[in-house]
This record gives sequence, C-alpha cells and structure tokens, in this order.
Amino acid sequence: MERNWSRGSRALTLGVASILIAAACGGGTATTAPSVAPASPGGGSASPGASAGGPVGGELTLWTAWGGKELETFQKVLDPFKTETGVEVKITTVRDAAQLAINVEAGTTLPDVAGAPTADKIPDWSQKGVMKALEDYLTDFAGYTDETLPGLVNGGTEIGVVDGKHYMMFVKTQIKNLLWYNAKVFTGTPPKTWDEVLAVQPPSGAKLFCAGIESGADSGWPATDNIEGILMRQSGDQIYNDWWAGKAKWSSPEVKLAFQTYGQIVSEANVYGGPNSVLTTAFQRAGKQLFASPPGCVLYDQATFIPNFFLEDYPNLKPVDDFNFIEPPSFNSQYDGLQEFFFDNFVMYNDTPQSRALMNYLWTADAQQIFVDAGGTLAANKNITQFPDPVFQHASEVVKAASKLLVDGSDNMPAEMRTAFYKGILNFIKDQSQLDSILADLDEIQASAYAQ
Amino acid sequence: MTGLAHEDATVDVTRRSRSDQLSVRIFRTFRRLPVHLTIVVIMAIWLIPTFGLFVNSFRAIEDMSNAGWWTALFPPSDLTLQSYEQVLNTEGVASGFVNSLIITIPATVIQIVIATMAGYAFAWMRFPGRDFFFIVIVLLLVVPIQMTLVPVLRGFAATGLAGSFLAVWLAHVGYGLPFQTYLFRNAMSSLPSEVFESAEVDGANHVQKFWRIGLPMIVPAVAAITIFVFLGIWNDLLVALTYMGSSPNRPLTVVVTQLLTSFGGGWQFLTAAAVLQMALPLAVFLGLQRYFQRGISAGAVKG
Amino acid sequence: MDSRIITVIAAVIGIPIILVGYLLVTERLISILPRKVQPRVRPYFWIFPAVAFATVFMVLPTINTILLSFQDRKSQAFVGLANYQYFFTNPDTLGALKNSVLWLVFFTGGVVIGGLLIAVLFDRVRYESLAKLAVFLPLPISAVAASIIWKFMFEYQPEGAVQTGTLNAIIGVVGVGPIAWLVESATNNPALIFVGIWTSMGFAMVIISSSLKAISTELLEAARLDGASELQVLRTIIVPLLLPTLTVISTTMVITALKVFDIVYVLTAGAYDTDVIASQMFTQLTGAGHYGRASAVGVILLLAVIPLLVINVRRFRREEAMR
Repeated sequence: MERNWSRGSRALTLGVASILIAAACGGGTATTAPSVAPASPGGGSASPGASAGGPVGGELTLWTAWGGKELETFQKVLDPFKTETGVEVKITTVRDAAQLAINVEAGTTLPDVAGAPTADKIPDWSQKGVMKALEDYLTDFAGYTDETLPGLVNGGTEIGVVDGKHYMMFVKTQIKNLLWYNAKVFTGTPPKTWDEVLAVQPPSGAKLFCAGIESGADSGWPATDNIEGILMRQSGDQIYNDWWAGKAKWSSPEVKLAFQTYGQIVSEANVYGGPNSVLTTAFQRAGKQLFASPPGCVLYDQATFIPNFFLEDYPNLKPVDDFNFIEPPSFNSQYDGLQEFFFDNFVMYNDTPQSRALMNYLWTADAQQIFVDAGGTLAANKNITQFPDPVFQHASEVVKAASKLLVDGSDNMPAEMRTAFYKGILNFIKDQSQLDSILADLDEIQASAYAQ
Repeated sequence: MTGLAHEDATVDVTRRSRSDQLSVRIFRTFRRLPVHLTIVVIMAIWLIPTFGLFVNSFRAIEDMSNAGWWTALFPPSDLTLQSYEQVLNTEGVASGFVNSLIITIPATVIQIVIATMAGYAFAWMRFPGRDFFFIVIVLLLVVPIQMTLVPVLRGFAATGLAGSFLAVWLAHVGYGLPFQTYLFRNAMSSLPSEVFESAEVDGANHVQKFWRIGLPMIVPAVAAITIFVFLGIWNDLLVALTYMGSSPNRPLTVVVTQLLTSFGGGWQFLTAAAVLQMALPLAVFLGLQRYFQRGISAGAVKG
Repeated sequence: MDSRIITVIAAVIGIPIILVGYLLVTERLISILPRKVQPRVRPYFWIFPAVAFATVFMVLPTINTILLSFQDRKSQAFVGLANYQYFFTNPDTLGALKNSVLWLVFFTGGVVIGGLLIAVLFDRVRYESLAKLAVFLPLPISAVAASIIWKFMFEYQPEGAVQTGTLNAIIGVVGVGPIAWLVESATNNPALIFVGIWTSMGFAMVIISSSLKAISTELLEAARLDGASELQVLRTIIVPLLLPTLTVISTTMVITALKVFDIVYVLTAGAYDTDVIASQMFTQLTGAGHYGRASAVGVILLLAVIPLLVINVRRFRREEAMR
C-alpha cells in the first residue's frame, strides 16, 4: 500500500505544482487588464467633429446607469462607432454610483469610461489622476466647448472643472420640473404662476397632482428634484447653490419654505391616493393616472424623460394631442429663468486608444442626434435642432430661454447628505408635521458630511 | 397505576367503537377540523406567496400593475413569456446565472473537504491545543461577517484579487469553515469509538480511518451540510455585493438586486429574474430534501 | 466569456488536485519524520487549512476592524471613541439599534415558538411530510427572491382602486381599507420581521420535529391518559425535553436576527425607520464611505453576540466533559 502511494503521490505532487503555477499565471481572476498608460499618443488621425476616425479594434469597458430603453438607445448611438472603429464596447449597467467610488478607494480596476462621481469627489479624483482631462484626449476641444451648451454653475465655477481642466463630457440632457398634463383633460390656458397652478380645478373625483417617488434604494429622488426646482425659482440661485454645497442650512427659511411648498403637492387634499400612494408608487407609473378613465389627477411634475414611461402604459399616446407640459411655474419673477438641468455625462478613467475614440465620437452632433431621434431626451450639443416631436421642440426652447442652467443639487451632495435628504423627504411626505425635526436632523448631518 | 388506567381506557374505547363507529368517526374528524383547518391555513401562508410570484412571472407587465396575480387563474388569463424573454435579454442576467454556478460549486467543494478533515481531526485525534483551537472555532461561529468586510475588501484590493472568482471562493470558504468544522466535528464525534478502535487493531492509520470509516458513516450529514452550504452560497448577497459589486463576474443575486435599483419601481420586470434565481436551488432542494431532512435529524438530535 | 472558461477549467482540474494533493503531500512529509513524532504532527496538518482560513478571513480582520473602529473615515488618524459616540447619539443609528432589538426578540421568538407549535401540530396528521415540505419550501429561496415575492404580497393601491397586493386584496374582502404595509410605522417592522420568520421557520421546524419524534410516545400517552391537556403536555413534558434543541435553534436565530441585511435592504432600503444594524454598517461602508463608523458598527454587533459566545463555549465544555 505504502509503495503504491509513494509513486502516486509523487506524480500528484508534480501535478499540483504545475496546476498551481498555471492557475497563478492564467486563470483564477477574470477581470480586465489594469489601467494602463496609452500605447501611442492616440487619436491623432481622428478627423475633428466626425466619427471616431478609422479602425481601432480592441475592447472597451463602460459603466452606465442606463438600463432598458435608455440602454437600447445608447446601443443605437454606439452602432456607427462600432462599425467604423471595430471597437467592442462592453457595457455593464451599474445603477449604484457608490460602486465606482468603492473601486477607486480600493484601488481596483476601473472601467475605461463611466459617469462622473458626485461633485465633492471630483477634486480628489482629478488629483489622483483617476479621471482624464478632456483637454488631453479630445482632438477638437475647442469645437467641443463651442458646440456644447454652456456649462452649469457650480457656486461660481463650472462643474467638472478642476484647475481649469475639464473632466466631464456632456452627452445628453433633461430639464426638470415640467408640469405634464393630459391635453384631453386639461384644456384651459396654461397657468403661469404657482398660485395659478394651485387654482386649477380638477374634474370631479380627480386630484390636482399625481406623484410617485418609489425607486428601490433611491426612493425619494423625484421629490428632491421638485424641491430643488421650487427653491431656485422661489428664492434664487445664490441660496440654491449655497444650500447644496453645504453652505446654507437646511433649516434656513428659504429651504423650509421650499419644503412646505412641495408639501402642497403631496398633501392628502391635492395628491392622487394621498401620501401613502406617493410613497408606494414608482415614479415611472405615477403618470398613469393622467390618462386613466376617469383620470386620477391633472398635473404631474416630472422631467423631460417621463413620456417614455407614459408610452409604456398607454402606447398610443401622441405628443401635444394627448400629453404636453406646462413650463415650470413662476414664484418670483426675478428668478423665472432659472432651470434645473440634468446632464448625462461620461468621464474617461483609462486612457486607451479605444476610450479616446469613443469620447471623441460621443460629443458630436451625429452621435447625439441618434439619442434625440429615439425620443425622450434633449442633447448637450447645441447644434441639434431637430426633435422627433413638438413637445421636445418646446422643451429645447425652454432650455434656450433659460437665464441660468443650474445643476441638480442633490446629485452633487456628498453621498451621506444625499441619502439623508432622500430619507428625510420620505419621512416628510409621510408626516408633514415633522418638518422641523427633519430639517434639524439634516443640519446635523450637513455639519459632518461636507467636512472631508 | 398508569398501567391499570391504560387498560381501562382501552376497554372503554373498544366498547365505544363497537356501538357507534360512524358517528364516532365523524365526531373525531369534526373535532379535528380546527387542527386540519389550521394546518391548511399555515400551508397556504407558506405556499401562496411563492405561487403568486410564479404566476406573475407569466403575466404581461401592464396586467401586473392593474390587477392581482390571482385574476390570471381565471379566464381570461393572458399568460405570456414576455417577462422571461425580456429578462434573459437584460444585460447581466444570463451571465449572472453562470457566474452563480462558477462561484457556488468550487466554494462548496473546497469547504466540505477542508471541514471534514478538520472535523475528524478535532473529534478523533489528540493533540495539545485541540481544545484551544476548537474553542476559537466555536467563538467564530457568532462573529458577524460584517466585522471582516472592510479589512478583507482592502486585502483583496491590495492583492489585486478584488472582483475575481478566486476572491469570492476564498471568502466563502473562510466564512463558512467555522460552522462546517463545528458541524462535522459533532457528526464525527457522535460515531461510536468502537468502530475506530477495532480498525486500529487491524492496523489502520488515521487517513484510512477517516476515509474508509469516518466519512462513509457520516454521509447523511455530509450530504445535508453540502446542500446547505450550496444553497447558502448560491443565495448569498452580502459577500458577493461587497467583494464583487460591479465586476462582470457578479452572481445572479447581485444582478437582480442591482436591477431592482435600476428599474426603481419596476418590480414587475423582475418576476422572471427572481424565478430564475430561485429555480435552481428549489430544484436541488426538492430533489434532495430527503437527504437534507435525514441529515439534519442525524446531526441535530445531538443538539 | 473566455476568461471564465479558463477559470472553470482551472477550477475543475485544479481544486480536486489541490485538495487531495494536500492530504497526500502532507502524509508524504509526515512519513519522513520518525515514527514517534508522526501522530503528534499529523493533527496540525489536518486542521491547518481550516484554522488558516478562519484566521485569515475572520480572526485577523476582526482584530483589524476593532482597530479601525477607533480611527477616522479613511483610517488615517485615531479618533478615540468618536465613532461609538456617533453611533449612540445619531437618531438613525439608534433607530437601527432599536429595530435590531425588535428583530432579536420577535424574530427569534417567532421562529422558535412558531416552529415548536407547528412541529407539534403537524405531528398529528397523516399528511405531515407534505405539510412540512410546504413550510420548508422558502428555505432555498434567497432573501432577494423572497423580498420580491413579498413585495407583491404587500403592494398598495389607493383606497377605492383595485388592489393588486394579495394582503390588501384579502383584507379588502372583509371591507378593511388598504394598508401601506411597508410604510406605516405600525406595520412596517412587523412585516419585515414576518418575512424573516417566513423564510427561517422551516429550518427550526424540521430540527424540532425530529427531536420531537425522539420523545417516547409512551411518555406522552401516559400523560394524556392521566388527564393532562395538550397544553399541559406541551408545557411540562415536551418543552423541557426539547430544551437543548430549542436553545441551539435560538442561538442560531439570534445570530441570524442580528445579521439580517438582505430583506431590509431589498424591501425598504431601511426607510421609514426599518433600518437594522447590519444594513447600517453596509450604508456606512459603501454609501458614506466612512470606514471608522462602519467598523464601529461591526464591533457593536460583535459585542451584542458575546453572551451567545459564552453560551456556546459553555455548552461545548459540557459536551466535551461527557465524552
């Protein structure tokens, strides 16, 4: 027995050793190669403004929060790029923005291209060299700044800019706080001020507003948009920018007033189904009641992307005939032109020929027209004037008429603050009488969250 | 005393059943009705929710937000495979399923092998420090995984393993071993020592005692624990989410959870995904549940 | 897909070879040593992988986490007890603590008592194995899938609208208004705890059931004939005899209650005051990115289980003494 074992065990020992060596070298890990310095001073051959410039081949990893229809559209945008350059684009849908942050903190592999982090992380990441500057890799940086809509105001400086270098590239946009309505139900003249909005009489059995803020772990975000829109047009951009940058308190009178005004939308009297319904209805489905028979509500405050979801429930709706929007109502004529904007953006994390090719393609009017043609969005490139339907045409005019485009405050707060904001809103909707204590709690968190 | 009472009772019962069998039977069933009813209600509570999800996975998305799943049981019931088609086309779902397999099987195998060896050693070998090491293992049974997340995550990052299968295999093995070692040691030590002693007399060494006697005799426990470990890893969310969050290697549980956030309120889209995630463990479980029950009885009666 | 195929091949070939190879290689090494030393050395080789893994993945990280809990957000400076202070003064974390206590009491109690009652009840019918299977069925379902299942059960539509959620439809039949189960303070924690019980009860039931069957039927019959009611039989005979089993299950369920994460994370993400300690830790780690606070939460969890630690070790000592 012993003799057989010794021969067998010798062979096995050799086998074990070789497998261990093989596994250590090849298998085991399945992640892509770590970020690497560019092989060649790439992109030189790319023709400015047009497509990616010739075959490049290879692979590119990209993270995006888009899923479902939005992702399909993005694939369409990528098709010409893929055909022209032969680059294989590997997309992972990552809704949880914290993931990217974890990887950066842990120093692990980053995707080649992904969305930007929240504003508070940008200085740190640019310093670490984690994000690559547009000036370095765009072949026609001047063209880009020229063609893209004016940058957003970030307490005085453009967003995504550190030490004069730009890190975020904007590809498509949405505006928020539009009051959507069913054109067959609401036929009067569109109200212009908030008081006029509140004076609108819903048909019997219906309530004035619909709202829905459920969104899994991110529940509450649609409400943050509403409050931000109210705050900026009610009290101005100064206080708005100070507030989300952590310089103005949550309990300050302007912020409190904005909350209270929002409370009018989601009160038992004004919202379909009462607060409980707001809390348990997903934002995608809340607009259904506009088109139900009989309708449950008259107005739905949401961004430009919401028609996509109307069509999911009622595929035969037509823009203008069936759905349209009222421009964000005025609170104080001084602040009327302030608009809350949302940019979809990309940042390059690994400088490779493939990622350069992609970034140089994405800002062009050609690429963005595909986004726009699919409907449900506006473009970052100002040369786009053709929109698939009159509703979006109208929206793009609202954008052009805006005096200042303001960034989504909650998206740019530190993660801790944002989460507290979401949870605070949920509690507020559930019980509006708790407002003071909710704001006080948020103040406490503000004190420590921004001190990084 | 008890014996006499018992006799009398038997006589009584016989006398009764002779005279009115039918009415007694009806009476007995009637008396037992609450018991049966309670049991049926309990079974319903445990079966209906899962059944509801299952039915919903075959309905169109619009239908789900308009009426409850039970309406699909009666005509007109528009059942469709729409959800399944959509979910299989959704980024990451099919891949997640494969990843779950790749993660679960090796991690299970490694754990069981190491734990059986260690369990045998703790049960039947004498060595200084045996109690010490085993007490450490017993202590580790209660340590929450959360205590280890930060350092292990950093460790993986430092060694470049973050997001890889190897990392998750090692992590699952590391986390599972204390419990498995504890169970196998209990199973092994519950075996009669005579069996081992007579084998020793016949000249067997530890390796042979382990391989030829110990292991075969605890097969029910091994089977049960293996199933248990397999299910635990297949269904794990926390470990995979933390160490593999956005890696393309992430398993189905993570994919589904991330889809939840991505679709926000679109739970309806996830019925098919959830069914897919549940299908394999349910199949494994139903097929092997006899072994599982037997194994638990064998090991658990020991307390 | 390519690199995964390599992984799979490496795993299928490599792992068995490594495992079996370890045993054989160590035996080989041992046989080199003098006869006398062999049996002294072998045990260490056998327990080495288990102990090594446990040390690397549990012991060392635990010590590390304890140290981290006294440091700041990015583990760059010592801040003493600041993180613990935060934990015990911040309303969110205190709320999570309160909820974890609720889980501890009601989840454990529900599973153990429920498991006992069901085991006793099912014992009386002929279709027992079918009934047990039904209760056992949620066991292989992941918490994520279970949460989706219950999401449909808890669904809420405004009053007057058609109810799509099973529970609201059922209570609607008797005219009770729809309840937003996961939102209302009175129902949200109980709802989550119930989902937890729903998934774990089968496990407890099976173990209790097999212990129950080990009780001699004569003992039970005798008591019944003596005039004892079912409740008395349960209280005076069954429970005392099952006490060791019930203790084991209780300690396991207490640990589960403290570690609960998936159910809360998926169903409510901790909103409306349903958050628990384990999910607080996850939020601190991945949301706020505060390593110090996340570690402090971990340490608090550990402290919470120390009583169980003591119980476990005592039981082990007692069992060892009997061998």
